[in-house]
Amino acid sequence: MRRRTLIAGLGAAAAAVAAGLYRFTDLFVKHYAPTPWDDVLAKLEDREEAAKLGAAMHDAPDAAALAARLRPVLGKQSLAAAALADIGAGRMTEADGWVLPESIALLSALAAKAGG
Amino acid sequence: MSAFLDARTLPANTVLTPDIAIIGGGPAGISLALALAETKLNILLLESGGLNFDPRIQKMYSGAATGVPYAALDAGRLRYLGGGTNHWGGWCRPMDAIDFETRDWVPHSGWPFSRKEIEPYYARAQNLVEAGPWIYDRSGDAEAGAKGAVLPLGKGGLYTSWFQFSKMRGDVLPTQFGHRYADDLKRARNITPLLHANVTAIRLAPDAGHVDRLDAATLGASGGAGKRFTVKPRYTVLACGGMENVRLLLASNDVMSAGLGNQNGMVGRFFADNPIPRDVATLVSFTGSLAPFYGSNLTLDNGAILRATFAPSAAFCRAKKVAGSLSTVEQAVDLDETGTAAVVTTAIALGVDASGARAYSLGCGMELMPDPDRRLTLTGEKDALGLPRLRLHMTLADEDFARFRLTLVELGRQLLAGKAGLLRINCSRRDEWLKNMDWGHHHLGTTRMHNDPRLGVVDANCQVHGVPNLYIAGSGVFPSYSASNPTLNLVALTLRLADHLKKVVA
Repeated sequence: MRRRTLIAGLGAAAAAVAAGLYRFTDLFVKHYAPTPWDDVLAKLEDREEAAKLGAAMHDAPDAAALAARLRPVLGKQSLAAAALADIGAGRMTEADGWVLPESIALLSALAAKAGG
Repeated sequence: MSAFLDARTLPANTVLTPDIAIIGGGPAGISLALALAETKLNILLLESGGLNFDPRIQKMYSGAATGVPYAALDAGRLRYLGGGTNHWGGWCRPMDAIDFETRDWVPHSGWPFSRKEIEPYYARAQNLVEAGPWIYDRSGDAEAGAKGAVLPLGKGGLYTSWFQFSKMRGDVLPTQFGHRYADDLKRARNITPLLHANVTAIRLAPDAGHVDRLDAATLGASGGAGKRFTVKPRYTVLACGGMENVRLLLASNDVMSAGLGNQNGMVGRFFADNPIPRDVATLVSFTGSLAPFYGSNLTLDNGAILRATFAPSAAFCRAKKVAGSLSTVEQAVDLDETGTAAVVTTAIALGVDASGARAYSLGCGMELMPDPDRRLTLTGEKDALGLPRLRLHMTLADEDFARFRLTLVELGRQLLAGKAGLLRINCSRRDEWLKNMDWGHHHLGTTRMHNDPRLGVVDANCQVHGVPNLYIAGSGVFPSYSASNPTLNLVALTLRLADHLKKVVA
């Protein structure tokens, strides 16, 4: 009985620690400070990699302007759909020479400006 | 079978009287001679060099250069039987129909005829360069596709095109016309191949109405002229290459003071080559490895050797006002942090598995815009036989790079559209384009073809304007250039000239 309680208690403690690590550290998943553009940034599955790419877009407008351009595009569709639409329409942008769909490039630039 | 004659063994002051004198034993000269074999015409093929490389003879090619850095004038040519084919890479591709058109965004462009005019000669040209069955764009995807996957480009302005290659002999070199066709030249009863025979002047009749004779000399053992002799042909064909033809024409100025055929100052202008900037872009294949026909040559069971290249369609060229270009995969390269981020972010967004993605550098052969100021002229310095040496003023416009950049952007877009990969353009500034610049050593345009004598040196039949018994063979007559390597095309054009000469001379 005491042994069972002990195991249950240790399990609960481990779960609490894991939940804490998940929620309050970047050990399992990176956490970002809230920004006014989180609705748009939520379209990124890997914001960290996107931010590295976006950092190469030196001429990108400020975050508010980027978000203003992206909201109408990403508000109604997925990033994949927006990217394919850009590719079809020839809306391409370069980031450090990489030829990218405009939506991916701008969203990456926003990720960079929103900070890690 | 006649043997090669050595001009150094001719009696002094010999006068030779062939029906046709062909000056130059490179791919054009040899193709022309072979096409005229077994006719009733007496053909004299004059070659400056012998059967092998001789640095003393090669030195006659050296010259000066100004402007954009370019290869030394004696580096891209070889002065012995076979000419440039003694060191060519064997890359073959027919010019596209659009290359012959007058393109309003390409100044001075346009041939006097369409591609249809030389199409009948391509099959024989393909045989002469020994590039195997004719595949190219007609069935390249099907033929090569059996050996590996062709990158699925999305619909757009570029398509996968195919180079074919002149037959490799072991691991050495493709068809070297001098060695390959030496026996055929000897075998032809009406052809006299004369080695070590340098034409030093083309002499016009006093009324400038026709070529009267050719002054020729051998290179003496002491370095100056050896034996001098004369050729009095009924017809003369200059086939010394896009540089040397100019030198001979400009130096032959005793009757026409500006140089033979240069009454309108066109001889030597519009020089062009195909710039080959390396590592112009990085191509990422989401699936990783590319089929073997991208980064190297693939030999098919039927003997054809193929390599894939990305070419702009005619419609894209018209819409975006770009010139010809042929981009090929070079070698595998590593991605930096930004590149990895670009691949990861884009692949996730498109729902593609890029866990095995690999990157490759791209190189390119470009077509230059014609430029009259890219020009060959004579210097005051003379070679061992007293001929003035050449000076090349080389130019390379930023616009040429800017137009090609549009083509690369489209390739990048199509890779994404096909969910096949991603492209980085590595060059933006002029110094970046020039950093890894190579050259095709394709000497084009200097005796350009045009129906109007004020705009060209030769007419549509390759006859020098105003001189009815003087013709020019080779890529020097190309008025606009294409990105395709010229050898196959100049051979086809030369075979057409042979048919014309058969009618005219007979």
